[in-house]
Amino acid sequence: MLFYLLSVIALLGGLGVVFSKSPMGSVLSLLLTFFALAVVYLLAGFAFMAAVQILVYAGAIMVLFLFVIMLLNLGGMGTRFELSAAPLSSSRAKLAAVVAAGIGLAGLIAAQRTSFPALPEGGAPERIDDIQQIAIALFGRYSLPFQAVSLLLLVTMVAVLVLAKRRGKESAQ
Amino acid sequence: MNVPSEHLFFLSAGLFALGVLGFLVRRNVIVALMCVELMLNAANLAFLAASRSHSSPGALDLQGPVFSIFVITVAAAEAAVGLALVIALYRLKQSVETDSASEMKG
Amino acid sequence: MQDSLSQAWLWWIPLLPLVGSALCGALHLATLRARKSDPSAKGLSAFAPLVACAAMAGALALAVRGFVDLRALAPSARTLLSTSWEWITIGNPARPWFDVDVALVLDPLSSTLTLVITGVGLLIHIYAAGYMKGDAGYAKFFAYLNLFVFAMLILVLSSSLLGVFVGWEGVGLCSYLLIGFWYEKGWPAEAAQKAFVTNRVGDACFLIGSFLLLRLFGTLDLADIVMRMKADFRLDTIDAGTQLNLSLAALFLFGGCCGKSAQLPLFTWLPDAMAGPTPVSALIHAATMVTSGIYLIVRLNPLFASSPTVMTLISAVGVTTALIGGSTALVQRDIKKVLAYSTVSQLGYMFLGLGTGAFAAAVFHLVTHAFFKALLFLGAGSVIHGMHEEQDMHKMGGLRKHMPQTFATFLAGAAALSGLPLMSGFFSKDEILAHTFNSGGVYYAFWIVGVLTAAMTAYYTWRMVALTFFGSERFDHHHVHPHESPALMTVPLMVLALLSVLGGVLGLPPVFHVAHVLDGWLAPVVEPGKAILAMHHPHEHLSHTVEWVLLGLGSAVALAFAHTGFHAYTRGAERDLAIERGAPGVAGFLNEAWTIDSAYSRLVVMPLRLCAFTVRFVIDQLVIDGLVNGSATAVKNIAGRVRGMASGQLESYALWMGAGAALISLWWMWS
Repeated sequence: MLFYLLSVIALLGGLGVVFSKSPMGSVLSLLLTFFALAVVYLLAGFAFMAAVQILVYAGAIMVLFLFVIMLLNLGGMGTRFELSAAPLSSSRAKLAAVVAAGIGLAGLIAAQRTSFPALPEGGAPERIDDIQQIAIALFGRYSLPFQAVSLLLLVTMVAVLVLAKRRGKESAQ
Repeated sequence: MNVPSEHLFFLSAGLFALGVLGFLVRRNVIVALMCVELMLNAANLAFLAASRSHSSPGALDLQGPVFSIFVITVAAAEAAVGLALVIALYRLKQSVETDSASEMKG
Repeated sequence: MQDSLSQAWLWWIPLLPLVGSALCGALHLATLRARKSDPSAKGLSAFAPLVACAAMAGALALAVRGFVDLRALAPSARTLLSTSWEWITIGNPARPWFDVDVALVLDPLSSTLTLVITGVGLLIHIYAAGYMKGDAGYAKFFAYLNLFVFAMLILVLSSSLLGVFVGWEGVGLCSYLLIGFWYEKGWPAEAAQKAFVTNRVGDACFLIGSFLLLRLFGTLDLADIVMRMKADFRLDTIDAGTQLNLSLAALFLFGGCCGKSAQLPLFTWLPDAMAGPTPVSALIHAATMVTSGIYLIVRLNPLFASSPTVMTLISAVGVTTALIGGSTALVQRDIKKVLAYSTVSQLGYMFLGLGTGAFAAAVFHLVTHAFFKALLFLGAGSVIHGMHEEQDMHKMGGLRKHMPQTFATFLAGAAALSGLPLMSGFFSKDEILAHTFNSGGVYYAFWIVGVLTAAMTAYYTWRMVALTFFGSERFDHHHVHPHESPALMTVPLMVLALLSVLGGVLGLPPVFHVAHVLDGWLAPVVEPGKAILAMHHPHEHLSHTVEWVLLGLGSAVALAFAHTGFHAYTRGAERDLAIERGAPGVAGFLNEAWTIDSAYSRLVVMPLRLCAFTVRFVIDQLVIDGLVNGSATAVKNIAGRVRGMASGQLESYALWMGAGAALISLWWMWS
């Protein structure tokens, strides 16, 4: 039953992200969702992934978002940061709702129509993401994607430096 | 936990749909990026649920966690670049609204 | 056959005129440049006739050398070959399926024609130096003329049908350029176009005939084709299908000849071609180019000889053309038009001769005709020159006192054309008629028409002489002062007059008991065709009595009608006016060459115009333009709607992308 409670919390957090009036509210709602998901991971037998979720998402990425919002001083409820004027009444918002519902529906149908193997007697394994096994997989079978992702992080660092650096011409404006 | 795998996928689909909706209706680029994170989390959940449904006590399926790690890494990179772009856009337009970037008009 | 390397000099025969043409062209360009600063400058164009005549003289000298070399060989081995390079080779190089060499070949036939082309050509070049003096395009004229001689020599000397075709098209092009030489007047340009378009019809036939020959023989080499005809296509062994193909090939090639040699039904361009300068009419439209059809048929004589139907057709077309041309010439007032229709008529005679298998006789008439018709054209040019560009014979008269040299030479040409006894035209025409008579059957009818045409020929020739040189002076004395032409023009006339009178010695009839020079000379070339013909219907030589009778008849007809024609017009042009009053229908019918031109406009031009009209308004404007404009409008409309999607707003792009993703995933789920 805990799972369903957490599910509701996660979905409420998602709604909060979408409909919060200020970016700060969105950040906090997203944080709520992340925490709820971390507990879901823990319950489903992914203790390591739950830790990663909290450390990376809730710790690093959300801090990044907060930092940018603070940097640009967008924390307030100024008019320009509200939802689009009359968000769900405009035709485009309705269309967006239909599209989102369509994609969600597709996911639901996919989940419904896929026949998963029945859970073994006595429930799913208590612990699935064995760290040792993950390490063996990452440095063994997945070493090439692992290195590619490392390279991606390097490129990202350079790109962020280039993008965020003030250029003389722009600073003059 | 004896929840069937389908329900994990239902949660994943719901979160993903919310992410799509937010991405489409919010004009604030930062919030749009948050919705992207939401969608990536939904994908992570789906990976892990699939891994769980394919694992039995003797034979663990580790593809889900491994891919989740990759997704988290990419999400971190995406957030970093995306926010750098937001800063650049703000510097250029004094705004973080998507309307302000409409130079792609054909 | 001698070593082909040593015969490379053969190439200089056509190349000298080509070089001359290039030099004259350069002189013309230099003149044009000089004229930019000074519009009246003559520039260097005065050197053009020197260059052109030198090139022609060189070519003539080489042609004579070739002739002498050939004479030194045994009659059966009289072939000089100069193979230069392989032009087209298709298939295995060792055993090609099809290959054409660029090669020149000089044998008795091409030697004869080369001598005529370079010899008469040289005289006409010299004449033109005087005739064209003062023309703005003096150097250009000689460039074209030399280029024409080059193409004509290629036509005559090429060893393959493909080479002949190159020359064939080359002379067509030069003819077009020279007919339209005074294009700024308007009608010469139209005449040039008419000549070109009409010739295209014949050229298409020529090509089809060549393709048929290629399919039959696997080669386009003329000597090979003749040899294969002799060896493999014997009349007693070939099957009906091959016979039909041979006949078709012969028929289509004859169609090509009809175009180039102005035979029915394609002759209408030749009278209009008189829009060109007179030396052009003399060289191209009397002496050389229009005889290339005769050359082609003689060159491929076994092919034609093997299909009697086509031979009869050739004779029928020839004699009909002769009749139409001769009767039309009776009533023409333009002196050049008389000569033009006369040329059509004489070419008809040559084809009549070819159809009877008298190949040598046709070439004989070709040679004598080249002499006397060139002479008559040049004489007419001299008259026109002296009369200040007047061509209407009704406005001439009594010119013999004013231009005695032209008059004397013109008389010689007229005598030869009308076939007065012992003149060159007498012997050649008589030989053709004798062969026709000898062929029997339907050829008797041809012979009667031929004699009738000979009578007409005598009549219109002397009518022309009388109207031009005798009777009262009908021109305006205040404005026109007839004068003799300069020596540059009269000396070629005299040489040609001599040739016209004495040309008959080339082919004296058997009753004279001397060798027929041309017959013997051409024997190696026409022998295969003769052999095939002999298999068909071996007929004996005419007995001497019959021959004497025919000669006498020919002389009598020529003399009688020359007399009639001359005396009917010595006093003036009243007879023409009387005919027009008395029988306007007949006069009009003859004047318009049996209304063939207007029949063409009714039967060919009008339907084509109608077709073009339909195509323009219905197919082009309605269907094609409709499709094009319609699709453009459709694209514009659709684009106008789609354009709204490319708003440049990120949200809408994302929305569309999301919608697409939703649709695709839903579609996957449901399928």
